[in-house]
Amino acid sequence: MGRDQKTTPSLQHILQQFDQCADLSRRNFPEIRVDIVYFPHLVSSKLLTDEILEPFARPQGDKIEQLLEQSQFVFQADVKKVVVGILGGSVAIFHMDQVYMLDAYGPETRSLVQSETETIITGPHDSFVESASTNLSLIRRRIKSSHLKVIRCSVGEISKTDVYILYIKGIANLEYVEELQKRIQRIEIDAINEGAMLSQFIEDNPNSVFPQFLTTERPDAAESKLEGGKIITIIDNSPTAISAPASFFEFFSSPDDYYQRWALGTALRLLRYSALLITIIFTAMYVSITTYHYEMIPEALLRTLAESRTRVPFPPVYEALLMETMIELLREAGARLPTKIGQTIGIVGGIVIGQAAVQAGLTSNILIIAVASSAIASFVIPSYMMSASIRLVRFGLIILAGIWGNMGLSMGVALLIIHLSSLTSLGSSYLSPVAPMKGTDWKDVFIRAPFALLKTRPSQTRTPNTIRQKMRK
Amino acid sequence: MAEKLTPFHITILVYMTQSGIIIFTLPRQLAEYFGTNGWLFMVPCFVISSLNIYLISLVYHMGKGRSIFLILEQSISKVVLYPLYIGLSSVWLIFGCMIGKKYVLLFQMISFPTTNPMIFKLAIDLLALLLLTKGIYTISKATTVFFWVTIWMYLLLLGFIPNFQWVRLTPFIFKEGHDMVRGGLDIYTAFLGYELSLLYLPYMDHKKKSMRGVYAGNTILSVAYISFAFICFGFFSLGQLKKLLYPLLDLLAFIQLPFVERLENLLYGFFLFLILVTVVMYWWAAAESVQRILPRANISILCSILVGISFVVSYIPTTLDQVNTWIMYLSYAATGIAFGLPLLLVVLLLVQRKRRNSYA
Amino acid sequence: MRKLSAVIVLMFLLSGCKSDERILERLGMVQTSSYDLSEDQRLKVTSSIPVVNPESVSRRELLVVEADSIKEARLQFSRKTELFLVSGQLRNVLFGLNLTKAGLGNYLDTLMRDPSVALGVRVSIVDGDAGALLSKDYKQHADTGQYVDHLLEKEGGRNSIPQITLYEFSRDYNDDGIDPIAPIIKETEDHVVIEGIACFEQDRYRMKIPAADGMIFALLRGSLNQGEVALNLGEDGGRKRIVMFSSLGSQHKLKVIRSENSRFKVKISASIQGSVLEYTGSLRLQNKADRQELEKEISAKLSSEGNQMIRNLQQHHVDSLGIGQYVRNSLSYREWKSTDWNKVYPSVEIEFHPKVIIKDYGKYN
Repeated sequence: MGRDQKTTPSLQHILQQFDQCADLSRRNFPEIRVDIVYFPHLVSSKLLTDEILEPFARPQGDKIEQLLEQSQFVFQADVKKVVVGILGGSVAIFHMDQVYMLDAYGPETRSLVQSETETIITGPHDSFVESASTNLSLIRRRIKSSHLKVIRCSVGEISKTDVYILYIKGIANLEYVEELQKRIQRIEIDAINEGAMLSQFIEDNPNSVFPQFLTTERPDAAESKLEGGKIITIIDNSPTAISAPASFFEFFSSPDDYYQRWALGTALRLLRYSALLITIIFTAMYVSITTYHYEMIPEALLRTLAESRTRVPFPPVYEALLMETMIELLREAGARLPTKIGQTIGIVGGIVIGQAAVQAGLTSNILIIAVASSAIASFVIPSYMMSASIRLVRFGLIILAGIWGNMGLSMGVALLIIHLSSLTSLGSSYLSPVAPMKGTDWKDVFIRAPFALLKTRPSQTRTPNTIRQKMRK
Repeated sequence: MAEKLTPFHITILVYMTQSGIIIFTLPRQLAEYFGTNGWLFMVPCFVISSLNIYLISLVYHMGKGRSIFLILEQSISKVVLYPLYIGLSSVWLIFGCMIGKKYVLLFQMISFPTTNPMIFKLAIDLLALLLLTKGIYTISKATTVFFWVTIWMYLLLLGFIPNFQWVRLTPFIFKEGHDMVRGGLDIYTAFLGYELSLLYLPYMDHKKKSMRGVYAGNTILSVAYISFAFICFGFFSLGQLKKLLYPLLDLLAFIQLPFVERLENLLYGFFLFLILVTVVMYWWAAAESVQRILPRANISILCSILVGISFVVSYIPTTLDQVNTWIMYLSYAATGIAFGLPLLLVVLLLVQRKRRNSYA
Repeated sequence: MRKLSAVIVLMFLLSGCKSDERILERLGMVQTSSYDLSEDQRLKVTSSIPVVNPESVSRRELLVVEADSIKEARLQFSRKTELFLVSGQLRNVLFGLNLTKAGLGNYLDTLMRDPSVALGVRVSIVDGDAGALLSKDYKQHADTGQYVDHLLEKEGGRNSIPQITLYEFSRDYNDDGIDPIAPIIKETEDHVVIEGIACFEQDRYRMKIPAADGMIFALLRGSLNQGEVALNLGEDGGRKRIVMFSSLGSQHKLKVIRSENSRFKVKISASIQGSVLEYTGSLRLQNKADRQELEKEISAKLSSEGNQMIRNLQQHHVDSLGIGQYVRNSLSYREWKSTDWNKVYPSVEIEFHPKVIIKDYGKYN
């Protein structure tokens, strides 16, 4: 209790606080000497009618005092809490110098729609929305266990955004929970608007290109993370849930892998890792081979490659950077425009500009293939955050390849590996299970082994309860 | 978080520290010094290095996992020890830096012949410094990744089996060689790197398995080197092998894939990872010993100074030949350390134990 | 911060290495080179460079120069072309017969020393003037060098001539128990023809095995997994008896027997399997006994031709079959060193024992 707030909350006081808040609503019931104050857009109109308007309009013989003794009305003596309550969607009821609060939170929210950024083919299609309570319900619906614990904290000096830390007791390692809670409570900022933004405040190394916490919009993904011993953080007003701790390789798995048959899931995983390789080095290899290592071109390709380069006026590295920038422009334009126009932009940009650039002799057509395939490959990576990071890294490698050819490329890769291995996620290794090595985890990281073999939870979570499946054939 | 090195990581660290620049010349050196079936010489080398590791494990067991510096400082006064530390660290520091320099000079044969080698050296040193300052645990993590990125290359050896002929191996053992003693010393340096496991002691998981990790790393390296040398002796003829200065590069250049040829251009870059780990580990060892003298020094600054010194030193030799000479003498010194240091420690431990017993 | 500074340093160095750039379209990538001995005992080098400009009429550029060494020739070439000459794409080196007779050792040395030249470069001999063969344009082929390369590659794959690259040549050249070989080609009016196999003693050309006998040479030299051979089994009532033995696989074994007074006897046995695709004799192939007879006849024919070839090789002092390796391996080191293999070789008794098995005989009786 704030000791300096000794003054009893009076109606005048509260109204003064909300001075010039035109959206505040005040009603009074003079016959029973009751005033109510609330924000109509934060309050569910049904609740308001059922709990206040109807009973208060005609108090059936009961006195108003008795009515207010019902448990939904909470007596509140602290002004600050009254203000916070009103802001949080409560109705403040003033009666004879006393204040009661009724939680009637129920603002308009977006209904459940499919996830835009993480689409899958088979499996549940619902996704998180902006309302934390809806999101919580999406998870509670899936995990019907009292062991699913939720810690609530609030973040943002002004915005006072609710943040919920979810974990399953007995599976999640409590040290991680504590650490995460500590980090969230340490945040001092006016407002945090998004889950991915929150994650940058609590990451181990905020300056890294790579996201150290996995973000997801999919409740089924969040659920499986919880069951694997990870901790999910949900922030109000954001459809993005954060899963921690995360490993680099986690970003390459999609819930789809488990819904498909294991052979297919494995093939998809391998495909994604090869996509990673293609994205990172394909264009850079083109640059390094055409600039320095002509020996590496097989005879059959030599003429094609050299011919396509003959009319290009600048060195391969500029050529490649030009085209890569072009692709990024297209992608960004497509992302900012409505879907239909976005598609048109893609077609116009991709086909028309690409074709014209080759014909005008600005780039070689082999490079177009390299750039396009590495762009496509980057979109194969399921996590948007990771794919964006990797696309950025690619530019660095192209430049390095332009400076020192394959040696530059190796140096870039070495730098990348050194950086990745120095990263941690909630203090655990980001490269788990490769370093520290945990061979048994590999079957759920690089391949998707049959369920019969996936008997343990990932080692990174340091879970006290490692067995996830006891079933025997 | 004070994390310990698991036996697996020790295996990888030891293997990666050991495998270094010598792999480029190893088969030729074997052919030159030992002649026919020179690859067999790797077997006694393996045995000797294993014995040396046994010596190290004695230090580990008798010292009950104490750091070697503690053991040394318990019996020897600091006046004597500090020069020793400086000696150790300078050998390791310069050894690491010469390996880096040799790698750069070799690379410049393949491409970038006219660029100033010190620019490449600077880049490699910066990479190494970056890794060095992150501490042994991160080094071991990065090493593990480097291990997986490079170990598959041994599979390429399978591609040479069609051209492998037993006839070329000949039934003769160590004929047509010369200077076997010197050659033996030179080739033994291929195994160097395990001696740094002396310094891992305080970072190890205090379990018996840790020492087994060192043995395992040495074994992986030996198997890899022996199979590589063996394939070379059956793939090339002896006379040819003697003339190929860098048989590994020739082997890699021989591989032709449908979409890419002349893999030495690409794979030479992969050897950067091996070299980087070797360099970083030697520098780490040097930094550890210097830190014993200056315990309060900031690690990053200390490492930067050390790397700076070594960078300046690496200006001195400019040709491959000079670098080879430097590496030769330094590797003799490193070999001396590999045997001498654990021996000294064992003796000290025996003395300490005796003294403790006499007090009791 | 440190990473940032590293990146900045790298960027700073960008300008430092322009001289080492090898941008593809600015390179003159020598694909085929030929070396001849000119009349005044100098080296005549001809190099063929692909012209990649699609607007150009010709597909290759030829550079011819006389110089004292391979690398000196390159310097002279450089003065003739706007392209930066490199040898990393070298596919094929052709040596003229004159040069081959004088010895290839030096040239081999130069080629092996250059780090940009890989061991996979094909080595072939030209009966006549190699430069002339390379300079000539064959109507149906835009690039003669490539044509020769593909021709040798294809024929080598079928084992009628050996696949010889720098690797094989220098390997055998540097081995004390085997002499190198190389395919030999010749220019005709509108084609390049494979003449046969050139056999060397050390690095000097000594004799040639005609292309028709290439298969027998291959059978003598090692195990095979594919090949074709046509044999003339003589005449039978005025009718030529030709048998075409195809898709043959052969297991090759070589045994060294030491007789008294330290003479060597070498038995080469080959067990050959294959299918008969053509037979013009009178034997009925569906008949088992006849088939066995044919097998015997083929064996006998192969054996006689093989043995004749061996005699021929021995007379020319060329150990192209690598008999020396096997003899060496059957001796102790001291014994081997005390034998002058070159002297001993012609008198070694070498026998070829092929054993032929007909797997099938086609789909028609």
